[in-house]
Amino acid sequence: MTGPQTHTVLSVSGLTKDYPGVRAVDDVSFAIEGGTVHCLVGENGAGKSTLVKMLTGALDPTSGSMSANGNEYTPNSPQDARKGGVATLFQELHVVDELTVLENLTLGMERSWFGFLVKSELEERAVKTLAAIEPSIDPSARVSRLSVAQKQIIEIARAASSGANIIIMDEPTAALSEREVERLFGVIRRLRENDVTVIYISHKLDEIFELGDNVTILRDGKHIATKPLADVDGRSELIEMMIGRTVFQSYSPRGTVGNKVVLKARGLTTSLLKDVSFDIKEGEIVGFYGLVGAGKTEIARALYGADSFEGAVDFKGKPVGRTPTAAIASGIALVPEERRTQGLFTNLTIRENIPVMNLPRVSRGGVFKAADVQDAAHQYVEQLSIATSSIEKHTEKLSGGNQQKVVFAKCLFSRAELLLLDEPTRGVDVGAKSEIYDIIKDLADQGNAVAVFSSELEEILGICDRVFLMFDGHLQEEIPNGPDVDISHILNVVTGGQESVAK
Amino acid sequence: MSSLTENIPQSLQREKMSDEGFITSLVVIVAVALFLVASLLVPNFFQWQNVVNLVTNNWAVISLGIFVSFLLVSGNFDLSVGGIVALSGVLSVWFAQSPDGANALSSGLGMPYPLAILCALIGALAIGAMNALFVVRLGIPSIIVTLGTMMVARGIAQVITQGSQRNTNLPDEFGFLGNLTMFGTSVKLPVVLMLLLFLVAVFVERKMVFGRITYWIGANPEAATLSGINRSWHITKLYLFSAAVAGMVGILLASEFKSGFSNRGTLMEFDALVIALLGGIAITGGFGSVIGMFFGAIILAVVTSAATGMVLSPDWQFILKAIAVFLAIVTQTWAVARRNR
Repeated sequence: MTGPQTHTVLSVSGLTKDYPGVRAVDDVSFAIEGGTVHCLVGENGAGKSTLVKMLTGALDPTSGSMSANGNEYTPNSPQDARKGGVATLFQELHVVDELTVLENLTLGMERSWFGFLVKSELEERAVKTLAAIEPSIDPSARVSRLSVAQKQIIEIARAASSGANIIIMDEPTAALSEREVERLFGVIRRLRENDVTVIYISHKLDEIFELGDNVTILRDGKHIATKPLADVDGRSELIEMMIGRTVFQSYSPRGTVGNKVVLKARGLTTSLLKDVSFDIKEGEIVGFYGLVGAGKTEIARALYGADSFEGAVDFKGKPVGRTPTAAIASGIALVPEERRTQGLFTNLTIRENIPVMNLPRVSRGGVFKAADVQDAAHQYVEQLSIATSSIEKHTEKLSGGNQQKVVFAKCLFSRAELLLLDEPTRGVDVGAKSEIYDIIKDLADQGNAVAVFSSELEEILGICDRVFLMFDGHLQEEIPNGPDVDISHILNVVTGGQESVAK
Repeated sequence: MSSLTENIPQSLQREKMSDEGFITSLVVIVAVALFLVASLLVPNFFQWQNVVNLVTNNWAVISLGIFVSFLLVSGNFDLSVGGIVALSGVLSVWFAQSPDGANALSSGLGMPYPLAILCALIGALAIGAMNALFVVRLGIPSIIVTLGTMMVARGIAQVITQGSQRNTNLPDEFGFLGNLTMFGTSVKLPVVLMLLLFLVAVFVERKMVFGRITYWIGANPEAATLSGINRSWHITKLYLFSAAVAGMVGILLASEFKSGFSNRGTLMEFDALVIALLGGIAITGGFGSVIGMFFGAIILAVVTSAATGMVLSPDWQFILKAIAVFLAIVTQTWAVARRNR
């Protein structure tokens, strides 16, 4: 360490990234000091991941400049970034299970002599780096026997020994247990002692306060502040800076929420979920809000019978079978998280997609009633105003919003009375978004129950009558939606805060 | 054109054919063109009887191709059909041979013929059930499973025939089914059965829920499951049907030749796969039609018979098949890519 004076290792200035119709990152400038843990926070859609992609060379900025270690920095690929001294710990791991730890550390940097591998000083350096950051890992061990957390550490050691002095970590604790998180934090602190700069991105504010030296806050693509965490007055100030006034509320109470409970879930438990219980009433829209990995999708899939779980689910007084087929039969339908891979048959037409969840409705004796299939397609194309020239169009050629409407049409065609909507407007343009909200409200107005699983607070507060807050597999709290809903309290709960921040 | 289009009013039809319709038409055109080219090169090729022969000589492989195609559309391979042809043929002979033969190979179990073919069919279904068990329940890739069961089936056939064949001590009615000519022509029962099976398959593929489910599963297995389709059961049925058809083919071939031969049907599984691919069925699943497969078989038949007609030695057949397959698949990939540009 060189004492109290600081030096900038990475800086961005005027950095901007435009997408058609959206400015994802808007004139962002800040500097990162060497040998610190610099945290990057912001809500979903604040521009964090776009910024990181530009730093790692996965995206080119529209305008603005970056510099690293005193040089201009214009990476075109992760390899380029590495040459500039910047390495990234991606969420998916890039280790080779069949090789040893040491072989992984020097992968791609082996020295050879007439095709024979020779020992090099690189290996020595790798072993030293690993010993410095995590002495408990044996360099000769096979990587397949290591845990996810240990593999992550191997990647960090590889980055550090290859000469990178800046390591970007994007949600590194998402897949780790509590003990493993502690171990990772130890590694990060030792990196800092060795004058390596860590750019740390996480939604979990506790981690940020525990680990960070400085923090940069982004909101709606704009730079809000960069300051030492010591100067931040607790979670509440951080949350305030993150949300600003961006969460506008368009919620208006709907008169159709009935009193009859249609769905009863008791003690849902999976590897992630911990004893989750709740009720949903007819005509009601409930929201499940939480960070990525909080267990929202797991609840949806459990209710739908797509994953196995412990606990009980009753729909209209009867237990729901544990397969999607049974769930559909009892009147539940799911709009899955990933529409292209889980919801749609993209190489088939709109007409061929719509009837799949309720085949008896359009067939007799196993033979399709062709006219009914077409009528159904025409009806839903019209009802959901799917923009297409023909029902014979392949769904892969539709826009994201129209694809999502086809998935909705599939579910509506099944005549479901409870709709589970997992991230219903992800990757959908603004216009289609509000149309989809109208569809959802119409469904509830007709007496159907709807559960929305979303990591967008604006969406949850815009349409849901009741909101369940999730953190780390627990259902933390249930709050009614309304004009006086406390947004900073919500953000506090879903980022792991136990008590209210209201002072 | 896929399945349900037929009754759509003209105004709503897309001017453009679907990719599937396009590829199937392409296969038909190539089949006809190749036939005309061969007619120019080979004397006496351009005859009605020759056209009939192209179909009738290939009844076995086209029959097998039907469910190989369905399985391929669902995203699964079935390489066991050739083995099943050998197994069911050998079983039907062994079960029907009278027990008092002079040596091991000439004495069997002495069952009445109808019971013998029923039991042989059950043997074939057992192999199909094994395929389904390993692919569906244990999640092992189908190409590996059916490669294994192909050898299991042929291996059992080899043990029963001691590596050779059984053809003595058979009841007279054994040769009946395979050699029965129909409608006063020279067309035999197996050919008629194949054509019936083919027409049913086209109907199932186009008009029936069963056919559509096969496409849904192949197009996106995960979405199919999340849409409430019982994927395991459907794949199980497909493997059982495929094995049943292969068993029937084996029994008919054994009847035609009045023998159970452990090497019968060798490479038939590959021919069935080749005609399906020639017919435009995507190896990745979710795309193709049995009509394409049928004309894929014609393409292969034209190429091989023209080669024989041009006095190329049979040794050249493999090379010719290879060229036909490569050309067909490259053309299809290119044509679809160009169309969707």
